[in-house]
Amino acid sequence: MSFLRAGLAAGPSSRLIQARLASVGAHSMLARRMLSHTSRLQAQAPKHSEVHHPVDHLAMPVKVRSPPLDASFPPDTKVGDEIDPYKGGPSAIEKAVHLFFFTEILRGMWIVIEQFFRPPYTIMYPFEKGPLSPRFRGEHALRRYPSGEERCIACKLCEAICPAQAITIESEARLDGSRRTTRYDIDMTKCIYCGFCQEACPVDAIVETQNQEFSTETREELLYNKEKLLANGDRAEAEIAANLHADHVYR
Amino acid sequence: MVSLLRTIRSMRRVGLREWWHQMQYIGDAKSGQFIGKDQFGNRYFENLNPEEEIPALLGRHRWIDFAQHDFNATQVPPEWHAWLSHIRKDPPTEDRVMQNLSPPWKAPWVENLTGTRGAFKTYNTTKPKYEAWEPKVSARGGP
Ligand code: SF4
Ligand code: SF4
Repeated sequence: MSFLRAGLAAGPSSRLIQARLASVGAHSMLARRMLSHTSRLQAQAPKHSEVHHPVDHLAMPVKVRSPPLDASFPPDTKVGDEIDPYKGGPSAIEKAVHLFFFTEILRGMWIVIEQFFRPPYTIMYPFEKGPLSPRFRGEHALRRYPSGEERCIACKLCEAICPAQAITIESEARLDGSRRTTRYDIDMTKCIYCGFCQEACPVDAIVETQNQEFSTETREELLYNKEKLLANGDRAEAEIAANLHADHVYR
Repeated sequence: MVSLLRTIRSMRRVGLREWWHQMQYIGDAKSGQFIGKDQFGNRYFENLNPEEEIPALLGRHRWIDFAQHDFNATQVPPEWHAWLSHIRKDPPTEDRVMQNLSPPWKAPWVENLTGTRGAFKTYNTTKPKYEAWEPKVSARGGP
């Protein structure tokens, strides 16, 4: 019925919808609704029209289910045409019986009894855990190549895209001439875990691991520096790589 | 209190001693297939029977028995974490992808040490941009 209400709210186009519904036979479905809610939906295009229109030679042979051009809508309801919303429903005595014999309470208690004999739903965290996606965005880590060389090339794309400006990077040339970061700080208290940094990274260096259990007692412990991020990557590399592998066809 | 039948069935399967252990930790009698043990001694179980454990989408069919009394979710190493969180289908003992992608330089897993002396304390990884002023007193020279 929400679709019908939306049609009503749509204003001028609602007329179109009414006529369509009337023509596809949804009318009988509406008959049980409250009159005050659906009064306008009772309107139907008249079967025959006196207005004569010139013949349209471009008309398609297919029957189009839209209101005819000459549709005129009668006033909403006529006297004696109202719908009794209580017709066919439970009688007052039936309702009183259900009320005085607490049948609703008994039915509710029966559902409780049913649940009692079913396996319990509660996940006993941390012994059991709900499912996570391989794309889950948790604690950050900096990865290394299989050779052990760190991936990050200090391009600062992640720093540029970070909407929370949680990343701070400073870079310098290393002794062998390659550009590396000397500072790679992520303020995990600023980070909103949007995952833009791992999307931006051209070498898959910064990733968000599936670890979500890195809560700390002090705020200071959440100000990660490069060493911490590399250590995160080093210890969880198998899981990170397996998740990237699981998702590589979609990237 | 959980389903009585299920409790009795699990109790008969795992034995009284294990059942008592489970009640002290998980707080629920569970029985299933032993899948493996990680380097810390945590044991992992699985029961894929949907009549006994609520399956997938909810995630009661895989569980862990922690080795330590003072248990903590971060005591699970990442390979098993992927299995326990239903990210990977196979446990790391059988998962070829996970095994092939484990690098030789993999660092040992450490649990979350917050609140202990091992907690991470951040530090600067670069040379400071400015130095504190160190007063130098030049020697008083006389003629
Ligand atoms: S996840 Fe988003 S907010 Fe967090 S560091 Fe990455 S880009 Fe910044
Ligand atoms: S982590 Fe990636 S995006 Fe960020 S500076 Fe390093 S290479 Fe560039």
